[in-house]
Amino acid sequence: MKLLTRYNRSTIAITTAIMLVAAIAYYFAITAVLSRQVDKALEVEEHEVHDYAKLNGTLPHVFSTNHQAIIFTRVNSAIERKFADTVYRDLKDEELEPARALYTWVKVQGKQYRVVVVQSKVENEDLVKVIFLITLGLIAALLAALFFLNRIILSNIWKPFYKILEQVKAFNLADKRSIKTVPSDIDEFKELDSAVSLMADRVEDDYHALKAFTENASHELMTPISVINSKLDTFLQTGEFSKAQSKLLTDMYASVTKLTRLNKSMLLLAKIENGLITDKREINLKTLIEDSLDHFEDLIAGREIVIERLLDDKTMKVSLLLMEVLIGNLISNALRHNVPGGFISIELNHLKLHVSNSGNPEVLDMTNMFRRFKKAASSEGSGLGLTISRQICDMYGFNLDYVNLNSVHHFIVTFAPGVS
Amino acid sequence: MKLLVIEDEAGLRESIEEYFTEEGNICESAFNFGSAMAKVNLYRYDCIVLDITLPDGSGLDILKHLKLEQHTDGILIISAKNSLDDRLNGLDLGADDYLTKPFHLSELRARVAAIVRRKSFDGNNHLRFNEIDIELSAKEVKINAQTIKLTPKEYALLLYFLANKGKVVSKSAIAEHLWGDNVDTADNFDFIYSHIKNLRKKMTEVGGNDYIQATYGMGYKFNTA
Repeated sequence: MKLLTRYNRSTIAITTAIMLVAAIAYYFAITAVLSRQVDKALEVEEHEVHDYAKLNGTLPHVFSTNHQAIIFTRVNSAIERKFADTVYRDLKDEELEPARALYTWVKVQGKQYRVVVVQSKVENEDLVKVIFLITLGLIAALLAALFFLNRIILSNIWKPFYKILEQVKAFNLADKRSIKTVPSDIDEFKELDSAVSLMADRVEDDYHALKAFTENASHELMTPISVINSKLDTFLQTGEFSKAQSKLLTDMYASVTKLTRLNKSMLLLAKIENGLITDKREINLKTLIEDSLDHFEDLIAGREIVIERLLDDKTMKVSLLLMEVLIGNLISNALRHNVPGGFISIELNHLKLHVSNSGNPEVLDMTNMFRRFKKAASSEGSGLGLTISRQICDMYGFNLDYVNLNSVHHFIVTFAPGVS
Repeated sequence: MKLLVIEDEAGLRESIEEYFTEEGNICESAFNFGSAMAKVNLYRYDCIVLDITLPDGSGLDILKHLKLEQHTDGILIISAKNSLDDRLNGLDLGADDYLTKPFHLSELRARVAAIVRRKSFDGNNHLRFNEIDIELSAKEVKINAQTIKLTPKEYALLLYFLANKGKVVSKSAIAEHLWGDNVDTADNFDFIYSHIKNLRKKMTEVGGNDYIQATYGMGYKFNTA
């Protein structure tokens, strides 16, 4: 629920309730006041009748008017004096109107008469109605005003908040845009703004420190690895080895090679993330793919894998190194996770690069596959290949998607329209 | 062949020296910028193996100095920085090749041999060893004056072995030389075996010696004796 909706809901509900109670109270108060006034008018009539009878000894002549009538009836016993609500028949249109009546008596020359003074309340009722309508109109106007005022005030006052929120949402460590401060004269928003800015800066600092550390660490590791490597090469020249010794040496070589590759991958990843690879040149992807396939020729032939290629010419201005890595990764993955006698299909056009391969029927986990060091249990790779591929794609604004259809794994790189 | 190794890391420097020192080779070394400059100002070398990051200076400055003095020593840069900028920088400044650490000594030797070859035989680019005669520009191999047809990988292997005569070359080094480091080496050992088998067959079929021997299941050796 939006803040505005929530706020509107409560203010309008409370306002409506209060206004309704007020209107009801208002109605009863006005009705009571008007009734009393009518009663007073009736009493004035009663007095006049009494005064007239006392003075003249006869009953006064009465004229029924549009809203008042006095009726005399001869009675034997005394009657109780009382006010009552009744109806009044209009002289003109013969309509029954609400009215107020005073039942009383008068004595003229020893004879008892009952006096009924009736006064129509139709005008009062009209007045109440008008007042009620005006009140209703007021309520409606007030509600509408409240609604729009809330909306304007809220959206104005909360503008800095939404601006900050937008920036936080768009915040991405990989691109260098930092969070801009949003000016506001409201303390809470000022505080929020500075807290968010501070947090973003700190996160960015930590991130860069971590990246720099990864890069430096990988870098520093290269020297000892190269010493181990050269010592192994030297050791190999020293003489005869038993079968067990050569097995040990082979394993050491394999591990050093793995270590080297892992370290190179980490270094490359750190460099991409630090934006250190900026070289750009015109590159023909078709040639690059064909070179890469030649490179893998032995592996492809050895596993009896059929290559289907549908390559259009496609040139773009990118880093040669990164494109080699991207294409190499996609093809070596397609090979590594293939089955003997399977196929690899590579399709290149101006929109996308599509590499698909036969493989195990299991669907790869999309969320994990692009993460660092996530790899299939059977994989011999470093677990960084797809992470690097994803980073390269992100860097150039490409999309890297994975689909599995009937045990065929598809990796699709959709090129950004800008890079051509 | 006269060689200078400029490398501050003692372990690596000693390994390289040891690997290159043999009959007919002189291998000198320098461990920092100062001693390297002193050496390159006094002597000429067929090839200088140059580390870029030295404790008291940059290898690139040595390179610049050599080019300024118009010395024609072959220069191979070795660096832990696998950045394209460094590589292009080095090559732009006139280095002959660039090798990223870590590397196999056999790879370094093959690269050095290629540089020395390029420097010493202009135009007439022949590499001869006993009955083997390779015309480098045409990539043509003759044994006892008979041409044999080699695939690109077999040809690369033969050159690699000739540069590392008498040395045991590990399978990892061969795999990296032939396929680069993007390919899982373990998968490739079988392919190395079949390439070498074919190479040996082609050479012996025309009466050549069977020089290449498997050693202890770890690698191969081009026997000169």
